[in-house]
This record gives sequence, structure tokens and C-alpha cells, in this order.
Amino acid sequence: MSFPHGSDLETTTRLSRHQGEAEARTLEGWRARGGYEALRRSLEMSPAEITEVVKASGLRGRGGAGFPTGLKWSFMPKDDGKPHYLCCNADESEPGAFKDREVIRWTPHLLIEGCLIASRAIGAEHAYIYVRGEFFEETQVLNAAVVEAYDNGLAGDGILGSSWSCDVTIHAGAGAYIAGEETGLMNSLMGNRAEPWAKPPFPAQAGAFGMPTTVNNVETLAAVPMILENGADWYRQWGSEESPGTKLWSCSGHLVRPGNYEFALGLPLSDIIFDACGGTPSGKPVKAVIPGGSSTAFLTGDELDCATTYEGLAEAGSALGTASPIVMDEDTDIVAAMRRIAQFYAHESCGQCVQCREGTSWVVRILQRIEAGDGRPADIDTLYELCEQMTGRTICVLADSVVFPLQSSLDKFRADYEARMKPTLVAAG
Amino acid sequence: MAENGAKATVTLTIDGVEVTVPSGTRVIEAAEHVGVVVPRYCYHPGIPTRPAQCRMCLVEVEGRPKLEPSCTLQAADDMVVNTASDTARTARQSVIEFLLVNHPLDCPICDAAGQCMLQDYAYVTNQLESRVDEPKRIMGRDRISDDILYFADRCVICTRCVRFMRDVAEDDSLIVAQRGDKAYIDTFPGRELDNPFQGNIVDVCPVGALVHEDFVFKARSWDMDATASVCPGCPTGCNVTIDTKENQIVRVKPRHNAAVNSWWMCDYGRKHLVMTNRGVRAEVPLIRDGGGDGDDGGELRPVDWATALDWVAEKVAALGAPGGSAVVSPDASNENLFYLRTLLDRLGVADAAFRVPQGETAELPTVPTLKLRADRAANAAGAGFFGGRRADGPPDGPAGGALVVLDDELEGAGEDFGGSADFFLYLGTRLPGPARNADAVLPIATFAEMDGTFTNFENRVQRFHQALRPPGLARPGWMVLSRVLARLGDGEAVNDVRGAFERMAAQAPAFAGLTWDGIGLKGAPAAGSAAEAAGVAGPAEAGA
Amino acid sequence: MSRRIHPAVVGAQPFQLTARERFDGPIFETEEGKHRLEAALSRYPTKQAALLPMLGFVQSVKGWIEPADMVEVAEALDLTPAYVHSIATFYTMYNKHPVGRHFVQVCTNISCHLNRAEEVLHRFLAETGTREGEISDDGEFTVIEAECLGACGFATVVQVNDRYLEDVTPDRVPGIVENLRGGRDP
Repeated sequence: MSFPHGSDLETTTRLSRHQGEAEARTLEGWRARGGYEALRRSLEMSPAEITEVVKASGLRGRGGAGFPTGLKWSFMPKDDGKPHYLCCNADESEPGAFKDREVIRWTPHLLIEGCLIASRAIGAEHAYIYVRGEFFEETQVLNAAVVEAYDNGLAGDGILGSSWSCDVTIHAGAGAYIAGEETGLMNSLMGNRAEPWAKPPFPAQAGAFGMPTTVNNVETLAAVPMILENGADWYRQWGSEESPGTKLWSCSGHLVRPGNYEFALGLPLSDIIFDACGGTPSGKPVKAVIPGGSSTAFLTGDELDCATTYEGLAEAGSALGTASPIVMDEDTDIVAAMRRIAQFYAHESCGQCVQCREGTSWVVRILQRIEAGDGRPADIDTLYELCEQMTGRTICVLADSVVFPLQSSLDKFRADYEARMKPTLVAAG
Repeated sequence: MAENGAKATVTLTIDGVEVTVPSGTRVIEAAEHVGVVVPRYCYHPGIPTRPAQCRMCLVEVEGRPKLEPSCTLQAADDMVVNTASDTARTARQSVIEFLLVNHPLDCPICDAAGQCMLQDYAYVTNQLESRVDEPKRIMGRDRISDDILYFADRCVICTRCVRFMRDVAEDDSLIVAQRGDKAYIDTFPGRELDNPFQGNIVDVCPVGALVHEDFVFKARSWDMDATASVCPGCPTGCNVTIDTKENQIVRVKPRHNAAVNSWWMCDYGRKHLVMTNRGVRAEVPLIRDGGGDGDDGGELRPVDWATALDWVAEKVAALGAPGGSAVVSPDASNENLFYLRTLLDRLGVADAAFRVPQGETAELPTVPTLKLRADRAANAAGAGFFGGRRADGPPDGPAGGALVVLDDELEGAGEDFGGSADFFLYLGTRLPGPARNADAVLPIATFAEMDGTFTNFENRVQRFHQALRPPGLARPGWMVLSRVLARLGDGEAVNDVRGAFERMAAQAPAFAGLTWDGIGLKGAPAAGSAAEAAGVAGPAEAGA
Repeated sequence: MSRRIHPAVVGAQPFQLTARERFDGPIFETEEGKHRLEAALSRYPTKQAALLPMLGFVQSVKGWIEPADMVEVAEALDLTPAYVHSIATFYTMYNKHPVGRHFVQVCTNISCHLNRAEEVLHRFLAETGTREGEISDDGEFTVIEAECLGACGFATVVQVNDRYLEDVTPDRVPGIVENLRGGRDP
């Protein structure tokens, strides 16, 4: 339990301020920290008002895509007479990301509160929290909190003595990264293979069990109570116009102090890596950073001055993603690292789309061969071409997820690949 | 269509051609209206679910950043679709290359070669192999049912088979196991498919992954001839294609007919048809004219057609109209039955018994018209049109007068069957024991060996075509009977089914107004039939 | 043994070898089985949605899921055994083969890879004398390579049954194996 780290960099611990406090896990402890006040307030507001506040705050989805949360909620139909569902995406499985796990295991009531407020905003009668199956210990903490919530009138019928009811159910996954994709998650919740489906239908039209559904990430929902309590302007004191607020950062790889941090959005990436995380344990220069989880593009050690906002990292040629920088020092074998990343996506491909099913594993095979010193110059062209053919052609973005790091690693570390190529015999004369 | 003010049609442009289609039409179907068949694997018009997962039918739509799957994309007004742009073509080519990454390229020993959508598109896109240099994943072969094999390495995971079973047959017993590039089609471990319609999964397979075991290594697609026909297994009359090689039926596939069998047929029908290859056939006319070695009537002796027909006509003319009885097969074609009725009328035989074997029924839940019906005969309705009487039990011969049997196998008939008839004429494809009591045996063709029509359970008249050469001297029943009648001064000898059908349509009320060409390959309701009243598309409407 | 579990959390009970017992007979006819099934069904609009929870329950009782169990689950939820087979093989956490008493999953994904995860994996294999995926002769261990376990800041992460071990270095491996073998805290 190495959270939270001390940091040389100013952290802004809002969402995470009670992480590390064992008492915060209990309802009593949570209430002592002002817990469920935002829920109480939300009960006095109309769903539209709640959505408006979240919209105004500029909160963006923290699962990787960064879609504006309030806008997503507003897609839900009103007064359609159908049951609505909220799915909390706690299937955290993007390599590099481990932030939601901290929210779940330290502040489970925060997550429950966020789920309830969101459910109220979208008219959901049931909130399903889909937790990745491997998180056994974390799930036990969350389970205890949910039972406590039920026992104390915070979930189920007549919440906080009001006429509003909403159920909360914890649902464990069973080992499938693709269940973190929103349609894959809903399919999995329904007892199907976690295969993403081609939209339309969009979740807000026909999602879980064919009913209007919103899928939100853990961190997104955990940010909602404080926004509701303090207002949109308060939240916007941090970050930029397009990327307001604070954000959890999961830092891993070659770092002196890896772990989770919370910062206001917009700090230079280099400050996070060097000041907060202490740079590389070897003291050697940083060769590469994948800033937003393994599905985002590589940055080189010279490209770390970018602002850690959605737009800042996009400008730098990568993405904020799940805000999970994976740091690699000078000695890192980029080909091996890329092979390992590709191997993950090949393992997790659901197998529906041809480009992903065959492409990801083909990429792995080429990279394995190059890694073993049996590469050919044509391999690089082939890899580039595969990148092109695997982008934007599939139902979901799993294939694209391997392309971002692969293509950028070819662009930026081509020499590393070329160094592994088998010497070619050149015909004399 | 135009409920709530919604437009009934939309107009869009596909590959430069403007086309107007009903609202809700998907682009892949709209394209077919302008003659463009967008390559596809997972899309099948007969399977309702469209997962858009093969990514083969991606097309470019002006104003949209990404290629769109045309199988799910709804046609919309002013949409401009390009199925053959560079981007769309490159994408399609790359799908083929991806599919070939693990594909064994075993076309020389694959039963689908020549009729394979992977092969076809590989040639169309000029992507004949993958650049993959590494060892391929090898999975091998599995048994899916008692007669269906699954070659996993050829599979493109389009899931048509899985979705046929789940969404059309409503039998969720075929699934995708594992995931990613380890995914394959499977049943529950240790169990096999056991569904009366499961053979359709072989037909929907776009490649050689699912194969009927009895077809393995039996014929190359280019060595087979395909003939449009109708399944004679039951009165449903599923439209089929009969594949033949060296004058044998080697395979039967359903042929689409929305009014009858949709895209499907049952397994009983398939097997029944292939079984028609079996058995010893009547191949030569036989008469008992006292000629040759025999005395007082003597033995049946083989003769040529002219002799046989002359002699039979002579005997019939001599009988006058003494009455008698007839036994007909409910598998006989309308034309055979019509000519037989004409002859029977001449003989004063009103009664014609037909017996219909019974079997278990099976339904395809989502296609109400398609059902394996209890009657195991193709044309009981036709037999009914021509004065046939449904009978049970073994046939018994008349006490006197004429006895005419049309292709009934006379199962259960006594040893002396027909012995007391004044004249016993047997027209048949085979020569069962009691038929040897006949005074004349005229060998006729099976339905697969001639052109003709059947009338199905809802009185739909459907054409079938000659797929095989009849053995020996056997000839179509209508051809034979028209010649007997011509010798008696009744009409012409016909050589072409059109002539037979024309005379039938002119004389038999049920067929009034129908023409051979008008029926076409999809059939038409008989006059005054329920099908006609229900407005099932027939030539009259098509022409209107 | 029946513990009343709140229906809200019945779909999120541990299932990786926590309650392994000898078990015979129909699972959903036991008191616990009935309770789990009924509780799960009360939480979803469809029966099928209880599939993952029930597969998890079976695994928590038996340690793995064999075809006969899939048939039982299918019957309990009005599904076909084939469908259950499709689901059970899609999700990697369902053990379709028996595993050792200590099921060791070593994450070798990128962050762990950068922190010597492959060495940790090989050390586990060497210390337990097994090849990947097989059960050690004494039935104590099965070691496999795992995909990202979602604790990348604590590389290398190793999951032993339902427990995470964090910051595992190759040097710590012999001690961990020793402790597990002795029934002690790793």
C-alpha cells in the first residue's frame, strides 16, 4: 500500500484526499468526512439540474476517451417509461492504469455516492458496478460498503428518506480486457461474451438489457460528488478550459517513486515524471514515455515538456488516455517493450473483426522475429502498412490501440528496430 | 411504410448511379439494385443478425471520416456511396491478406475450392497470399455433427453458422469458443449438433470450413453441373439446386424462394435426394405379347419403344371402356398425372388410389412455410387434382377391367396382384415384384431425370429441371403416355415439357392460365388455390 | 456452510480458489447454491445475466469448471450447455483445467516487463519445478504468465489465488514459494 507518495511536486488531492485512511472505508468514517452530503443535495435537485452542473464543470470521462460526462448524460431519453441503467466501468485493465483500484479500495462510499448521483441524473433505477474479476480484495471492500449503504437507507428503496429509489449491484468480471469497452462491458454484464457491438444502437438508445444506459468510469463518477458539492466554478479553478479539474495519475515503469498521484490538469509531463516520481532509478535519461496507458503513442525523452491536458498531449502527438505514464529509461529495449504491448492486445482481442483478430497476432509474430534478431528491412514497411490497415476499420478501438504505440515507436525509435535487423547480403558489383 | 410522416423511400447514389429504395434498406442491399454486389462474409440475407464483424463490406460514404459497414448502414437521402474507391478497395484487399495470415491455402484438397468466397475475393482483390513469414496457427479438424466436419484453419469466423443455428433455427448449440485468433466454432464438448435443419450451416459457410462428410473429396466444383429443382421429400417443395457429376447426384443445396423455403431446406430432404441415386431401375419396355419364347401370353419380354407403344395402344383400344382401377404415386409430376388421367378417362377408370408414406415433422421456427411435413411425397396435391384418392393399406387389384399403376412400388401387394385384371399396365422407374405380373411395363424417368412440375402443400406449382440422364430406355412418363394417347388418336406425341404443360393448362382447370415460362424458377399458385387467394406472387401479378 | 450474502454483492464474490472444498452432487441443489442462484437472479432483468456470477460460484466451490458443471449452470439459467461453454472459454479467469493449490499468476505486461517480470516468472517456474500451466508433482503449484493485473505502480505484480503480491523481485521468489509451501503468509 504505497499510496499516497510524498511528492516534490504540488499535488492537488481532492478526489483522492481520503485515500490511505482506513476509516474512510466505513460508512461512519465516510460520513465523518462529509460523505453522502452531495447525494443529499442531489435529492433536492432535478435530474436536469444535476446534469447541468456536471456539464458546466467540464468533467470529461476518465476512462480514456475523455468524452464530456454531462453531455453523455444528456443523451439519455427523458420520460420514455423504460428502465434506465447506469454501468460503472470498474474493469480497469489498460496496462499502466491502476487508479480506479485505489478509489475502490480506499473510498468505496465515494464511488457509491457518485453512482447514485449519476443514476439520479440519468433516471437510472439500477446502477451496476462492473469490477474486473482480478480485483478480489478491492471488491470485498466495495461489497462491504454497498451492504452498509443498503443497511443504512443509502441504496435501494427510498434513499435518505426520499421517494427516490435506486439499486446498486456489484458485478465481477472474469478476465477480459475488452469488457472495459462500453458495449463489451454491457454484453458481459448481460452474460454474453464481452464482444463490443457495432453502434448504432448507442448505449443511450439501447444499452444494457436493451434499455437506455450510460457507462461511466470509476474516476469520473468519483469526481461527481465534489463537483455537486462545490459547484462547477470550483472545479474549473484547476486545469484548462478544455481539460478542467484534477486528475489521478498512475505512474509506472522505470521510476523512483511509481504510484498514484492527483494533480491539477495541465502540469508539464516532465514535472510529474521527474519531480513527483523522482525520475529513473538508474539515474539514466528517460528514453521514452507512453503517457496515457499502453494504448497511447510513445513520446521520446525530449518531448516531455507538454502540458498534461487532453489537448496538450494531443498536440504532442499522443493522448492523455487514462493518464498512466509508463516510463522507460535509456537502457530499455523498445522492440521488446513494443512486442510485450502488442502481445497484450493480441491476447485480449475478442476475435470479431478480422483486422484485430489476425492483425494483432501478426504484429506480435513480426516483432518477436525482429526481437530475436531475425528481422528484415521489409518488416518495417509491413508494420507501417499494418498500422494503416488496422486503424479505424473495426467495431471498437482495440486494434487502433496497438497501432498508436507501434506506429509512434517506429517513427521515433526506428534505429532500435533497424539495429535488430539481420545483416543483408549485398550482391557484389 | 409511410407511418408518422416518415418517407417511404430514400434516394441515394451508389458508385455514381442514383437509386431509390424503401426506407430502412441497408446500403449493401441498395447496392444490389444497381448491380453492385459488395463483398461480404458475415452478412447473409437470410440471417437476421448483422454483427458487422467481418469488415469486408466496408464502403466509403462521402462526408464520413471512416469506412462504414454497408450491411448495417441505412441508406439515406442524398447519401453518396463509393464501394470501389481506392480506400474501400485497399481495405478489402487488406481484409483478405489478414484472413490469409493463418489460412492453410489448402485449396487443392478443399471441397469449397471453386465456390469459395475467400478464393473469389482473393482473386478479385489480387491478394493471393499474405506476406506473413512466420509459422501459421494450426487448429485442425473437428466433428460438428454426425455428417458435418469443421476445418478450423479455413474458418473466417464470420459466425454465419452460429447465427443460423441461434437466430434462424433457434437452437443455441453451435457457438464460438475461445477468443481472438484462437477462436473457433464449436459445439458443447462431447455433443454434436442434432437439429433437422443443421445442414444449412454448410450452405451458409462462405469458405470450406464446414463440409458435409459425405461430400468430402467427392467432386470438384468445376466438375459438377447445377440444376434448378424442387425437393420431392415432402409437400413443402423446397426449391433446391441439384449438383451432379457423372450422372450422379452428389450434393443438394437450397435455392432461395421467399414464398416457400426462404434460403433453407431440411436435412431429410437433402439425404432423400441423394438417395435417389440408389436402387435397380427399370430400363427397358417389357410386354407380354406371347411373342418370343413364351406360350399363352407368355413371359414379359424386352422390346423397343415403338413395339411396346404400338402393342399397349392396341390393347387399350381393344378394351374399350370396361372400367378398372389405378394406383398412382404421389411423387409423380403434374404432367405425368395429367396424361395418366387422360388415359384413365379413356379406359373409364375413375378411381386412382395414392398412398402417402408418413414421417416425423420438423419445423424451422422462424420460417413458417418451411416445415418437414408428415406426408413424405412431393405431389399429393397434384394427385388430388387429377382425381386421386388418398388410400391406406396395401393396394389390391381390380376384379376385372384395366389396372394401371404409375410408379407405385406396390409395397404390401399380394403375389398375384393384378392377376385378375383384363389388362395390367405398369409405368415405373423401378420394377418391384408385383409389377412383374403386368402385361406391359413401361420404364419411366425419375423427377431428376426430366423436366416437370409439382404442386406443393399450398397448391403452388413449381418447376423442376432435368439434372440426370435417364438410364437405358427410360423416358419421362408424360412423353411415354402422350405417345400411347397419340396412337389412340388423342393429341400429339410431345417431346418437350412445354408441350405437355401447355396441354395440361388447357385442359385441367387447376392449371388454367399458367404457362411453363410464366411459372419461372419460383413457381406460381394453382388456379383458385389458397396460395393464389393469399396473393403469393405469381406470373399474373408479375406481369401486371 | 451457507452464508447469507447480500444480493447486491452476490455477483462479486471471490472465485479464485478461496473456498475450495470436496464437492459432489448437484451444486444448485445445495442450500448455498440455491441461495446464490436466487440472490443473483433477483438483481438482473434476465436470467442469463446471472451466468458470470454462477460460473464464478462453481469455480469458488470446485476450483475449476469442467463440462459437467457447465451443464448444471446451463440448466439453472435456461441456457444451452454450448452457450455456457462459449462464455467460459471467452473469459480467462475461469479455469477449464484443474490448477495447483497455489495458483501463481505473474504479470509480465509492460510495466512489470520493465521491472524484470520475466525473471520473476522464470524464478517461480524454477522454484516450483513446473512448466507454465502444469500442476507441480505435489499438487501445490501452478504458475502462469498473466496479462496486466492493474497494479502497475507496484511491479512486478503476482497474484496468488485471490491475493496480490506487489513489488515482487526475482530474489523474493524463493521465500514466497517456501512460505506458500509451508502454509504461511507469502
